[in-house]
Amino acid sequence: MAATAQAISAAEAERQELRGLLHKQYRWLDYKFDIVFWITAAFVVGAAADITKLLFAGDWDFWTDWKDRQWWPIISPFAFIIIPSALQYIQWLAWRFPTGATYTAVCMFLCSWVGRVFQWQGFVSYPLAFVWPATIIPAGIFLDWMLLKTKSFVLTSILGSMVWTLVFWTSNYMTLAPYLQPTQFMGHILTVADVQGIQYLRSQTPEYLRLVENGTLRSFLEETQYVSLVFGATLTVAGYWIGQAIARWLAIWPIGRFMKQF
Amino acid sequence: MTHRLLISLLLGAVALLGTAVVASAHGENAQEGFLRMETVTFSNVNFSKDTIKQGEDLTITGKATLLDTWPKTLGEPSTGFVNITAPGPVMLMKDRLVNGMSAPDAIFVKKGNSYDFKLTLTGREPGRWHVHPTFAVEGAGTLIGPGQWITVLDAGGFTNNLTLLNGQSVNLETYGVGQMSIFQWLGFGLGMAWMLYWTVPAIGGANHRTVSKLPVTLRIPLNTDGQDIGLITKRDHRVSNLLLLGTVALLVVGWVYQSVSFPIKIPQQVFRFTPPDLPAAPQLAQVITRDASFDPQTSTLVMNVDVTNTSKAPITLKGFTTSSLTFVDQAAAGTGAEHVMVISPQGTIAAGETKTLNLTLRDPVWRDTRMIEVNRPRIEVAGQLLFQDASGTESQTTVASSVNPKLI
Repeated sequence: MAATAQAISAAEAERQELRGLLHKQYRWLDYKFDIVFWITAAFVVGAAADITKLLFAGDWDFWTDWKDRQWWPIISPFAFIIIPSALQYIQWLAWRFPTGATYTAVCMFLCSWVGRVFQWQGFVSYPLAFVWPATIIPAGIFLDWMLLKTKSFVLTSILGSMVWTLVFWTSNYMTLAPYLQPTQFMGHILTVADVQGIQYLRSQTPEYLRLVENGTLRSFLEETQYVSLVFGATLTVAGYWIGQAIARWLAIWPIGRFMKQF
Repeated sequence: MTHRLLISLLLGAVALLGTAVVASAHGENAQEGFLRMETVTFSNVNFSKDTIKQGEDLTITGKATLLDTWPKTLGEPSTGFVNITAPGPVMLMKDRLVNGMSAPDAIFVKKGNSYDFKLTLTGREPGRWHVHPTFAVEGAGTLIGPGQWITVLDAGGFTNNLTLLNGQSVNLETYGVGQMSIFQWLGFGLGMAWMLYWTVPAIGGANHRTVSKLPVTLRIPLNTDGQDIGLITKRDHRVSNLLLLGTVALLVVGWVYQSVSFPIKIPQQVFRFTPPDLPAAPQLAQVITRDASFDPQTSTLVMNVDVTNTSKAPITLKGFTTSSLTFVDQAAAGTGAEHVMVISPQGTIAAGETKTLNLTLRDPVWRDTRMIEVNRPRIEVAGQLLFQDASGTESQTTVASSVNPKLI
């Protein structure tokens, strides 16, 4: 009985100590550190996310005629979740902030828009209507919310990745919709997106490189889109853990080694 | 000393600027010359104009032939794409005909076949642009045809109108940008609201500082939100739920909007086909290449070929085409001929006769375009000889040979 009371007391004492630490004021760092961190890291995080996206799913994110219902929902959510997952681990581990995915999404959003508006539209004159970037901000909010509620990276990787894929498709399909309207061009019925792809020249991207739905006898109940979403969600779970591996072994583990050493 | 250094730097910068002329090309000379010669030849390439206004059309016509000498190392050609290369979308592709058929996408191709093309382009960006027709082959790369400078004059603006099947006319330069921007920036607003709440203590609370948290988070399990010590509060959960609901509302509104506004949608289309063969051209001659030599000092290629006239009428050798270059008989060439060759002996080849012809192609273009280089694993020449009979019938015969370079 006395031992139990002692244990409770010790636990309460630890809680008090942790509360004290949590609200401790630091003379020189305090909130200035936060401002410096969030703003300077934005460039690194945005660039890392954008480069990862471009490496794995560049063309799908660039051109409307690549944003198809078969490959886009498979490749892009997988490519897009890697860095948000890494940031989610780091920010949750260090500060218990469910913000890693949203922070990455917001940073990447700004990076992508700067690139598309100034570089692709301003410098090489592709219309933004053809080269707009996909957004992952709504998907990022869902993923962070999932971590906040489950407090588990395993559950977030399974449930969150699936929701991520679905929300990625939903939030970008509404902007893609006008480009999927049919029109007649060169004597064929094509989508507006197809016409953009034909008209706005891509000298070193021959059309046969365009990896989009092309028809197959393996189509499951002819519902390509739903099969792709399910497969994409499964692949995104793997992408989530690639991000976790980056965070745990490339970001956090070396810091631990460094701190132990000195 | 400082002045000398500055002058040297200035001269160096000027010298570098002088190389800008080279940068106006499209990398065609970076491809190995023997591969360019043995893969695709472009002939009869013609640009309808060299100056157009914004919105005005220009046509490029010509013929591309996938030679029988196609190198084994590149794999068998199966899919190709006729396009142009230019510095970005300075023109729009309005129509593309291959062997008379409309070809919006790639086509299926076969070695030995020829493809007549007609490309209709519209001026878009004002400026002076270097434009080439191209023939890309899957697995091999893009082969570039003869180019021309095209000037696009400013007409005070440009619109690219397209009529949809529902009758609506849209300008593809800006279509959908407004709606896309609204949805994406509303999403950005939600994302920023989430971030500001969680990272600004004045908004989210004192527990949203970072600097004081590490000593705490390192001492509690990873799968707890530390509500008992105030790491994450009930208010945090409530606000996060509300922001998620806002996100759901945005998705629902967006989905309903696109469903109502664009009820008819189809997936992106892929239209690839095999173009019909061109009418079989009569074969007027058989050619055996005896030898070929190249002098890098004078940039002169000399070929000796045995030509047998297999037709029933006398024929004449008119020219030689390789990659994007066409050489015409110097004796018959007009003043405008870009590249010429000397044929010896001159004259016709009678029906059934076999004659040895000596072809001398002395032109700096061999060196300038790096078509024949002695530091390559294969020093070869390939292309097509063009024969013509008295009635004007033309025939092309593919020739290929190793080349003996004059090294000493």
